Amino acid sequence: MRNAHAAIVGIGRTKFGEHYEIEPERLIDAAGLAALNAAGVERKDLEGVYFANHFLQITNKIGLEEGFMSELLELHVSMETMRCFSSALHNAINALKAGHCKIALVGGVEKMTDRSDKIRDDLMLLDCQWSYFAGGTPEANHELMLREYIKKYRLSQTDQDQLMIALAQISVKNHYYGSMNECAQFYGRKITIDDVLRERKAAGKSLGLYDFAPISDGATALILVKPELASSYTEKPIYVTGYSSATDFISYPSREDRSAFLSTRLASERALRMAGTEIQNIGIAEVCDPSTVSELNALEDLGFLRKGDAWRSIYKSYQDGTWFCETDSGPLFVNTNGGCKADGSPLGAKGGAHIIEIVTQMRNEAGSRQIKGDIELTQGIALEHEGFGTKSYVHVLTRE
Amino acid sequence: MSSEPIERRVSYIGDRLRGCRCTNCGREYFGFREYCGDCGRASMGKIQDIDFLHEEAVLESCTIVREPTNRFMKLAPFVFGVFSFHDGKVRVPGRVTDILLRDGADATTFEGKRAVPRFRRRCSVGESDIIQTLSLAFSMSDDYYPYQPYEKTPSGKEHQAPGVVGWGAYTSKFRIKEGRMERSVPFLDEDATTAAVESVKLALVQSGVDGSSMQKIYAGSESNPYAVKPLASKVAQVLELGRRELGGVQGIDAIDTQFACKPATSMFKDAASLVYYLSPRSQTPQYAVVVGTDNSQAAPRGTLGGELDFFVGYGGVSFIFGTHDVAAEVEDWYSCTSDTPDFWRRDTQRFPRHGGRFTGEPAYFKHVEKAAKGLMEKMHMTAADYAYFVPHQPNVGFPMRVAKKLGFKEEQVLPGLAVAKFGNLYSGSSPIGLAAVLDKAKPDERIMLVGYGSGAGSDAYSFMTTQDILTKRERQKFTIEKQMNSEHLEYIDYHTYRRFKAGL
Repeated sequence: MRNAHAAIVGIGRTKFGEHYEIEPERLIDAAGLAALNAAGVERKDLEGVYFANHFLQITNKIGLEEGFMSELLELHVSMETMRCFSSALHNAINALKAGHCKIALVGGVEKMTDRSDKIRDDLMLLDCQWSYFAGGTPEANHELMLREYIKKYRLSQTDQDQLMIALAQISVKNHYYGSMNECAQFYGRKITIDDVLRERKAAGKSLGLYDFAPISDGATALILVKPELASSYTEKPIYVTGYSSATDFISYPSREDRSAFLSTRLASERALRMAGTEIQNIGIAEVCDPSTVSELNALEDLGFLRKGDAWRSIYKSYQDGTWFCETDSGPLFVNTNGGCKADGSPLGAKGGAHIIEIVTQMRNEAGSRQIKGDIELTQGIALEHEGFGTKSYVHVLTRE
Repeated sequence: MSSEPIERRVSYIGDRLRGCRCTNCGREYFGFREYCGDCGRASMGKIQDIDFLHEEAVLESCTIVREPTNRFMKLAPFVFGVFSFHDGKVRVPGRVTDILLRDGADATTFEGKRAVPRFRRRCSVGESDIIQTLSLAFSMSDDYYPYQPYEKTPSGKEHQAPGVVGWGAYTSKFRIKEGRMERSVPFLDEDATTAAVESVKLALVQSGVDGSSMQKIYAGSESNPYAVKPLASKVAQVLELGRRELGGVQGIDAIDTQFACKPATSMFKDAASLVYYLSPRSQTPQYAVVVGTDNSQAAPRGTLGGELDFFVGYGGVSFIFGTHDVAAEVEDWYSCTSDTPDFWRRDTQRFPRHGGRFTGEPAYFKHVEKAAKGLMEKMHMTAADYAYFVPHQPNVGFPMRVAKKLGFKEEQVLPGLAVAKFGNLYSGSSPIGLAAVLDKAKPDERIMLVGYGSGAGSDAYSFMTTQDILTKRERQKFTIEKQMNSEHLEYIDYHTYRRFKAGL
């Protein structure tokens, strides 16, 4: 395939949610084994391991994760740890392209519930110290972003009402898809607009329980090979044709535009250019949605919908319960795994769930939530954030 | 969570909201950097330190935090948002303080409003931990505490005698009212240290004295949240008192004093003497500041020592002493001491105890009378020679009775009687009375101040006001009168009062 930088030949993941009895290393082991099995690859065949977790050092007092991986895999190859799955994937692709290895395991894990009583303090401190010191919370930043958005685009009260419904629809849509995803944290748990609104009212502020992703445990993995080797592992390889990342200031208040994530826009533009494609050609997007606001913003930042206007399309598209978004270039399916909202949000692993979902949908293996109809899914885009839009990673995936 | 070195760095920047400005292009940043992003290498060596403590901010966007992170539990619910300084040149996160949010409050009503950065406790910490502070707490400018720029003014006329060149009194927005008595109650994030900073800040604003010419700060308190660690050093650092040296060091002597309620009044003569000694030996006028500050402690009602709970207030009062532009000259003083255990707090105990009836005649009255009479004898004067008499005021009854016994009339005492509006401020008790009188006195009026501290001792002073008192007064919007009768005062119930007193 033209433009292919690497091929995904096997995927594996655990269920997301609370894994009370399972250590983080056993979670990643389970996901890794599933991926190896799916690709028909033996451990000893691996030439590199790229692995991600956001803060196992804090949540589980585990450092030097590579040593655990080495012991589990009984391998002594080059291994590196990153902070998010997409970053691990980036680095694995680079290693493949540089000729350091031909086949690599990419994985991610997080075990957040072990520290659930302190995890919001940890997250906020890591997101931005000064905001933490000033009393900020991870949720507050999303609410501030929503305020900035409303003010920047001068939304009238009627517009704001529709925007808030659109955000609720995003949550309902994600739960709808998540209810059909056996690995999702909220498998089988559909919700209604009224549920979202009720929780907002109970919270006494703009966004409520159902506007935010949960904390989760879980692991994801995939086997990545050089494109020319893909056919020897699978009949349905999915290629990475574009990948890029961008970075923004750690302190959200000091960013120039606080109504959107600059890093997403930059990473998206570069990744699409690299893939030699345009956003209009893409039919499925898996985006980072720690809140409903971030999913809305992602569709604008990636370029699917016009700035300041996405809520209008979402509001119209989702009203009839057909859960795809009408864009100028046709239907767009977003977070069909349930997104971070319903699938779950183990930080180091969630990016893997995005990639895995696109691979699964493109291979027509998504079961009851398979995107149907006359839509030809040949290209997908995955967006992952670290921090509050501090880093954005974008991958463009393509099927033959 | 923070180790001490981290805390030193965070509070060094955060307490004063230090930042920097590129002198090339004017771009500003919060925190330090050596390099302007726009000017690049051309800006190296051209970055100037600035700070935002004396600036006014705008709350641009905000939300309500009802489920805070663990260390902010006691403060919730509160408004959190993005504040900007200098028309958006710098934006910082911040929390709105001094507000009790009602049910159904709408955060957006705060957006676009102007706000004043306030030096406050940051969040809850363990009992043995460093107390974390920060000025990313803001009160709204249209609320109780007004925004006042700090304009340094060159010093003018030199006086024969040293005296008060500026004063600042700070009491909080919250009050408890029981019977005829109102008392100032700290907000959750306030304590003796934050009141000290506020009062010195107000004194600097009023006097226009350049903080860098301060030679010494005396901070008197009996409720310093630390048993060991001065609060004077915090005040000096936050307000940049004394010459700014390298390495975040201020060229000033800072000392905490302790003597129940008179650690501040005791030091007036030391401050006056110090500047009187230093000024003739210096090129420029020299200053010293004395602070009396307390979150006056009392055990809960119904427990041992709980009687005090009906009287305690909260606040800090500061006097800057100098030899130039003196508003009230120190004429003379007289102090006396005896070992009288009428009120005490043992180390490790949270609340003080007192000797009941013993605190009256053999303690308060004996010492206050002795000091007042001693001063009058020394000065060959009688009660009629003083326009105002300001005694220590633990309640309304004691000062009135002692004034009568000494031959002062009601009209000499009432102007300096602030206890009915603020409660007993302990170290700031007679000082806030003096501040109240200075807010009203005409030039060439004589004031007698008598401080009292249990344990026991009294300091009597005679001050003589000058013409300069008139110009000084114009520079202060946040007067005692304003704090007594502000439309923004918020009255709270006993339960909330105990919660606020306990703080973070």
